[in-house]
Amino acid sequence: MKPSLITTHPFGEAYAKSLGVAPWRGHLPGPKVEEWRFTPLRNLAKIAFAPAAINVSVDIIPRTVPVIQGAARLVLVNGAYRKDLSDANLGKGIELSHGKVPAKEGSSLIALNAAYAPASLALHVTGAVKKIIHIISIGAAEVAPAALHPRITITAETSSSVTLVESHVGLPGETYFSNPVASITVGEGASVRRYVSVDEDNEAFHLATSLVKVAGDGNYEAFHLGLGGALTRQEVRVALTGENANVRLNGAYALNGTSHHDITTVIDHLLPNCTSSQVFKGVVDGESHGVYQGRIHVARDAQKTDARQLHKALFLSRGPAIDCKPELEIYADDVQCAHGAATGEIDPNHLFYLAARGIDPETARDLLVEGFLADAVNEISDEAVRAVFGAAIGQWLKLRQARPS
Amino acid sequence: MALLEIKNLHASVAGKEILKGITLKLQPGEVHAIMGPNGTGKSTLSNVIAGREGYEVTKGEVYLDGQDVLAMAADERARAGIFLAFQYPVEIPGVTTSAFLKTALNAKRRAEGKPEIDAMDFLKLVKAKTAALGMPYDMIKRALNVGFSGGEKKRAEVLQMTMLEPRVAILDETDSGLDIDALKIVSEGVNSLRSPDRAFLVITHYQRLLYYIVHDHVHVLANGRVVASGGKELALELEAEGYAKYLDAAA
Repeated sequence: MKPSLITTHPFGEAYAKSLGVAPWRGHLPGPKVEEWRFTPLRNLAKIAFAPAAINVSVDIIPRTVPVIQGAARLVLVNGAYRKDLSDANLGKGIELSHGKVPAKEGSSLIALNAAYAPASLALHVTGAVKKIIHIISIGAAEVAPAALHPRITITAETSSSVTLVESHVGLPGETYFSNPVASITVGEGASVRRYVSVDEDNEAFHLATSLVKVAGDGNYEAFHLGLGGALTRQEVRVALTGENANVRLNGAYALNGTSHHDITTVIDHLLPNCTSSQVFKGVVDGESHGVYQGRIHVARDAQKTDARQLHKALFLSRGPAIDCKPELEIYADDVQCAHGAATGEIDPNHLFYLAARGIDPETARDLLVEGFLADAVNEISDEAVRAVFGAAIGQWLKLRQARPS
Repeated sequence: MALLEIKNLHASVAGKEILKGITLKLQPGEVHAIMGPNGTGKSTLSNVIAGREGYEVTKGEVYLDGQDVLAMAADERARAGIFLAFQYPVEIPGVTTSAFLKTALNAKRRAEGKPEIDAMDFLKLVKAKTAALGMPYDMIKRALNVGFSGGEKKRAEVLQMTMLEPRVAILDETDSGLDIDALKIVSEGVNSLRSPDRAFLVITHYQRLLYYIVHDHVHVLANGRVVASGGKELALELEAEGYAKYLDAAA
């Protein structure tokens, strides 16, 4: 895929030049790139982002970051590791390092990340890690719009296991653009659980790419929660590179105002006897826009593949829009693949049933929305994280802007 | 003052008049049965009292303890003490029975100026009530009515009723789809709630339910009107002779 250029972007070309990297403006996928058709970057391209300062004075973790009891905490501010804010007592079976960012590879956004990321937060997992590892990425643009490029690398060796939580948040101030890239390698028989929450500032942009490779008998379970940001995208590409590998990729989003949230998944079944399942659910209100694109590719050799995908969205008003694009590309002949997509509104019969039990319309709607998203949230196999993410959704419902009547 | 008073109630659905002047008075402590063939307005009556949208009251009044019921929204009516046990309880995926019961109970407590129920007290209460109805306690962890059998759904309705302790309970064909064992349990639940300050309106197509629910008055509804009222003997007569003569009279 060749990105078309947005040539009008005013980002500091001189700065790019000084770093010896391609000018930023060439890195944004344009509207003609099929994978970006539903997520136009016009508004992002209008803003003159400067590279985010590394040494900003941040001395507390924003309150929007959930507290996970007993978890180790690794904090990035504007993509740079902050030892002073972290609690890097990780326990056994895992090591933290700050590696070099791999040279350009993959998409243009990854190349952009590679050009600007200060360092890669690298976790090397060799055993069964007991503690939850909580990575917190904070965007802080103080005086001018800023771009940050967090980079995370997770390598889980054979038969190791780890549970990660990632919180992406921002501080009030100028607008920022976060362009995180996570590279995750799940070794043979290893198990990685990764729960990502994107709750950026209302004005912020967030275009995340996750590249996941799962070896034979490996398990990757992920959940992607989208709660805030002007324009956010969580793109997850998973390659199942060994037999009997499994991926469970789930997520939920709740949007209001003019928020735009895009979930794009690509699952690549390369070898036989692998499974993939996806459950994504979203609620949209105001004038928001939700996007789900899910591609499942089953190679000729990937016999006995079992791949499932579901996306459902609930409209809380008539203003929002949803684009949903499931794609199945199957080259093997002995496979089970299923996909489903549905959108709807709250059922008035459900509302009446709750009203007939004395529950007021607002509370009833919140209960039904939480219930709608619960199908996806319940896919989170870690009980503590499930509760934390459920609570975050509850909080979103409480803070939701009053809808125009 | 009557606990529930329905005065000359007329109601239409999609422009078609279904209720054509219904007048009923339920005194505290009484159980009234409403019987009648299908399509005579029994369910319309229960929906109009509970406040479902899509039913237009064209004439008449309904009072609960002197309060104007028709002026209230559905949820206000419920908090004021009207309970409708649904003929077809809806399945609500994702919402656990437990979360639902707690929300409903707290809505009522708030309306009464009481604090929200303590989590432990709530569990104790549910345990006691489910046991009394012969229901497994675990059912409250399941999504509301999802995958419940017909009998389980009706029991869940009675469970809600025993927890919310309404002033007036309307049972809309609660007997439909129940086998005899479930019917007995549901009836016992209703009988156990009988009290001097509560009234019941039991809507049914069959006499069967009335063998188990102790009732005081029977009304026959035909073509949107009450065409006969009496005591227990009326139900038995209907069982023996059917509705034919009332239908002829109402036509």
